[in-house]
Amino acid sequence: MYNFLQIRLSAFLLDVNTVGSYIPVALQVLIVVGLIGFLLWATHMLGPKRKTSDKLEVFSSGIGSHGEARQPMAIKYFLVAILFVLFDVEVIFFYPYAVNIKGLGWHGFYAVLMFVGFFLCGFIYILKKGALKWED
Amino acid sequence: MNALLISAVMGVLMMFSSFMLKSKSAVRNVALAGMFLILVANILDTYGWHLFNIPTEGMMHFDRFSLFFNSIAFACTFIFFLLSARDMEKVGINYAEYFSLIFFILCGIVLVASFQSLLILFLGIEIISIPLYILTGSDKRNLKSNEASLKYFLLGSFSTGIMLMGITLLYGHAGSFDITVLIKAGEKPSSLAIAGLLMLLFAMAFKVSAAPFHFWTPDVYDGAPTVFTSFMATIVKAAAFIGFMRLFSTAFYSLHDQWQMVIAIITALTLLIGNITAVFQQSIKRMLAYSSISQAGFMMLALFALNGTATEGLFLYVAAYSLATIGVFAVLIKMKDYTFEGFNGFARHHPFLAAVNTVFLLSLAGIPLTAGFLAKFYMLKAAVEAGGFLWLVIFAVLMAAVSVYYYFRVIQAMYFKEGDAPVSMEVSRPFQWVLGVLAFLIILLGVFPNALLYWFYF
Amino acid sequence: MLSMALFTIGIVGVLTRRNAIIIFMCIELMLNAVNLLLVAFSKMHHLQLLSTNAAAGSEGQLFVFFIMVVAAAEVAVGLAIIVMMYRNIHSVDINFLNRLKN
Repeated sequence: MYNFLQIRLSAFLLDVNTVGSYIPVALQVLIVVGLIGFLLWATHMLGPKRKTSDKLEVFSSGIGSHGEARQPMAIKYFLVAILFVLFDVEVIFFYPYAVNIKGLGWHGFYAVLMFVGFFLCGFIYILKKGALKWED
Repeated sequence: MNALLISAVMGVLMMFSSFMLKSKSAVRNVALAGMFLILVANILDTYGWHLFNIPTEGMMHFDRFSLFFNSIAFACTFIFFLLSARDMEKVGINYAEYFSLIFFILCGIVLVASFQSLLILFLGIEIISIPLYILTGSDKRNLKSNEASLKYFLLGSFSTGIMLMGITLLYGHAGSFDITVLIKAGEKPSSLAIAGLLMLLFAMAFKVSAAPFHFWTPDVYDGAPTVFTSFMATIVKAAAFIGFMRLFSTAFYSLHDQWQMVIAIITALTLLIGNITAVFQQSIKRMLAYSSISQAGFMMLALFALNGTATEGLFLYVAAYSLATIGVFAVLIKMKDYTFEGFNGFARHHPFLAAVNTVFLLSLAGIPLTAGFLAKFYMLKAAVEAGGFLWLVIFAVLMAAVSVYYYFRVIQAMYFKEGDAPVSMEVSRPFQWVLGVLAFLIILLGVFPNALLYWFYF
Repeated sequence: MLSMALFTIGIVGVLTRRNAIIIFMCIELMLNAVNLLLVAFSKMHHLQLLSTNAAAGSEGQLFVFFIMVVAAAEVAVGLAIIVMMYRNIHSVDINFLNRLKN
């Protein structure tokens, strides 16, 4: 039996293009899904549970908590952060261009110029809309 | 190509017009002019006048199918602007941005209708979806709108994740994103390809809101501002169908026998759930959401059949459904009360509006002499020609009969019940004119469907 | 394999969690799993076709760039929606999302 498995497996591994060669993949997927499901179920079943409202309260030396710990944050921070993320990630398109800058030539340059132009449109838009005004 | 670039530029232009133009009517006129320009440019493109010459081999392929659909979608959007542009003012303060987002969605629609690489399909779907999340939540103070937008966003991006996984598995199988070489004819597909195909199928079924992936539709359509629901339920949905059709008729045609059964089951479920649930609705807006699910079921029949009749039928269906639904929503926006009772006695106070609304509802129900009837007829004919699944056709006819019930409830409320049918805003004369033209178009298509289909071939 | 595990964690997370932000993170996890798998496939095709085509498999990596950018756009919109929601109901729990049910 062991021998049989061995032979079959090696045949599969040599011939990477058949349907059969994905059987290990499928097996592993099954195991992974099964394991995750089992672990979730097991922790759910085994873990101790105390269904009291005490547990939900914040504990601070026996003194009841009052007030909200999270202060409302100014929306400006959020806006600037989001805009930063957007403009930051768009730079990703410059990487392929930077690598192939010689090979792409003028044609590539015009394409990148167009990209930057569109980019600038967005930037002018948020400037005009006053999204970056720090002081009111 | 023309339309894609012009609508992208228009989107940017509308963004700038939000702070450069002071009056709202100026913004509206710019948007209308831009929409008209896009429509004309696309028709020019269809007849060989390419304004731009950019190589897109392997990425996009502009054939008759995609260009013709684009024309239909742009024409519908133009009519939508004419009817509802004024109502967008009430949604919020960012009037020009709404137009800008709609133009970006149109870019996405062009991409989805003419993709040749799965990369473009993904980009198109995302360019459609992301502005839609914003439009759904554009009524910022309204909790229902917030909720609909969050729900739509979470479920939409979840389905995007599934779609990406499908695309990746197909890439693992074929080593290319080009849909023409994805699966070679006569080759036995690997399990990777099958898994990828199923994931793509589910994700696309989600985007067109076919059961059992429809659960987001009623909530989102109900919560979104009515103006944008109208756009979402018609043009965007039609575009998703065209993309679905293009993907499966090009890439997976050789495996047709294998996924046909899955599509048949999805179609039957969609028809069943859409129609039966619509019967029990109290709000007309929600009823229209379910009715759009059931109409999606009929459009799935085209996907199921995949033959010449199905392609023609899908175009006819898209046109008939979009025109009629835009009309119904345009009337609905004017109403104060969205329940069936709100329409009581509507015919006495606004005889013209009630008459055109009746035409739209009859078309949706598929009564002869309207475009909806012939569209449904083409779909059923295509399904019969595909052969083998007669039960599905019989089931579809039964469900069409059920749908007549809830459309007629509105007509009954308008004509045979007493009430004062409160209207929330005045109805202008141009608005009535456009509605009249719309109703005329629907009847014209119902009598001479070839008036539309002729354009597809010549 | 790792990517499959990540993807599955993402799906399970989306389906079981009740906090909008955690669901959102799980969706991002799914996208990143896809990215990982794409790069792996790209390498595989590259090695297979190296002899005939030196650039084989590059489109897979290109796709990753696009996924990243689109994911960033989605993050921006999604977080904005969640913040808007939070300002109105002071919670990000999706159990609150039942007003639309009749």
